[in-house]
Amino acid sequence: MKIKTERYIGRTVTYVVLTALALVILVPILWMISTSFKTEAATYNPHPTWIPDPPSLMAYDKFFNTYSFGKMLMNSCVTCIATVIICVLCSSLAGYGITRFRFHGKKALMQFLLVTQMFPAVMMVVPFYAILSKVGLTNNLVGLIVVYSATNVAFSTWMLVSYFKSIPIELDEAARVDGASSFRIFWNIILPLVIPGIVAVAIYVLFHGWNEYMYSSVIISTDDLKTITVGIISLNSQNQIKWNDLMAASAFSSLPLVVLFICLQKYFVEGMTGGAVKG
Amino acid sequence: MKKSLQKKHGPIDGYLFVLPVVFMMVALIAYPMLYGLYISFFNTNLVSRWNFVGLKYYIEAFQDPEFYQSVLLTFKYMILVVAGHFIVGFFLALQLNKQFKGRTAYRVVFMLPWFFPEAVIALLFTWILNPMYGVFNDILMKVGLISTNISWLGSKDLAFSSVVFVSIWKGFPLVMTMILAGLQTIPRDLYEAAEIDGVGRFAQLWYITIPSLKSIIKTLLILDCVWWFKQYTLVYTMTSGGPGTATNLISLSVYGTAFNDLRFGKGAAWGVLVFVICVLLSTVFKRVIKDED
Repeated sequence: MKIKTERYIGRTVTYVVLTALALVILVPILWMISTSFKTEAATYNPHPTWIPDPPSLMAYDKFFNTYSFGKMLMNSCVTCIATVIICVLCSSLAGYGITRFRFHGKKALMQFLLVTQMFPAVMMVVPFYAILSKVGLTNNLVGLIVVYSATNVAFSTWMLVSYFKSIPIELDEAARVDGASSFRIFWNIILPLVIPGIVAVAIYVLFHGWNEYMYSSVIISTDDLKTITVGIISLNSQNQIKWNDLMAASAFSSLPLVVLFICLQKYFVEGMTGGAVKG
Repeated sequence: MKKSLQKKHGPIDGYLFVLPVVFMMVALIAYPMLYGLYISFFNTNLVSRWNFVGLKYYIEAFQDPEFYQSVLLTFKYMILVVAGHFIVGFFLALQLNKQFKGRTAYRVVFMLPWFFPEAVIALLFTWILNPMYGVFNDILMKVGLISTNISWLGSKDLAFSSVVFVSIWKGFPLVMTMILAGLQTIPRDLYEAAEIDGVGRFAQLWYITIPSLKSIIKTLLILDCVWWFKQYTLVYTMTSGGPGTATNLISLSVYGTAFNDLRFGKGAAWGVLVFVICVLLSTVFKRVIKDED
């Protein structure tokens, strides 16, 4: 009887504590959504209400029509998709090479890939900017794609190495006996087996590209090439901040991806634990 | 096993496979890094002025109180944030590892901050903490905890604490998720055996859970420290380093030196120093944790 009551109390305490903490997470996010449906006047109420009154879609309308956020969303999409493709291709090739062959400098390469994780963006931002302006790639999405690929490919490779390691090498050997070339074995046989790893890498790179601010703010200078993150933050530095517009922009540019990440979180976690933890 | 492949197909195939990544590492990481080192020896605006100054900026950095203060502040920030991540993350991971109804829903909720961009989180909290129209002040007033509006990001002490809080809020899900993944790899019978021997809850945590998670904790600790030591976007968006220098983390200092003052040489030199600190940090952690084995 006593044990039962204790267990009951324990469970209740768990629920209460977890719910309280969950509210600390949810309330700000709900506030973002609530604000985004308000009129500008309603954001100047010193005693703000939770339910927008009157509810308004103005802020979302302005997202596309007043500000050029639609264009910025496109810029972010183009940059991120190109970066994901480059990173997935390069890191899966390297992941296969590292796990299947022995060659000089392999250990050094792996070490270097790991050390790049220590590189602070602020150390790289000045030289990247200097080099890109030399070759005329500043204020150009190509320049941004180059930088994002360079800064993400190392960790992508680390993640994929652990996936390739889990595929038995006997598969390669069997195919080799049949006379297939290394590249064919990689492309036709092994690559399809590491698709979960590739999904993990793609999400990781997409996530980082979408969130990146510093490089983008330095490399891109004109409004029509800005990425969404930079675009939103630049609204914040205006004199009169329209918080309903800002929250609508924030919600619109992040919620679809958040939902996607939540759906794919299995891969996210697998990728991180595979690459970062076992690594 | 690897040898058999090796014999039939020399190392050339291996080199071909890693070539793209090696090329990127050399051309797009190593070269810029060395170029940054090169820039750090010059007083330059990258266009017309290139005056060689040698190690001047490095020597000056060690005498410059701004550099010291900024590094110290960043350490203080990093320690508080990482400690927060581990306390909250560990606690939640232990709770979410239990069986109870609605566990999946809680897991998803606690992962949410991870998936929002730092810029969005920073803007959201800037709005919530707004001194005039912010909902946080309003809630505190209604509960009766404060009587006048507080400028959370406008006063020195509060700005730093606020930024630390938001950084913990944003970053704990990573630690939680990793530890949770680790907890699930610990065999149940270890706990059952301990239970039979009458070992208490805390002893179980101390002697079974933590040792089993050691490698995860080590990697997480290093990554988390380095990541948050380098933190820029969140703090820049919320306070731009202010008020005064209250939240002027080293990344913000470096960025400002380079792109606001246009002192690229000095900025590059400080950037290199931040890198050295990050490497030292991870080396120290590796040593310390290894010695305990």
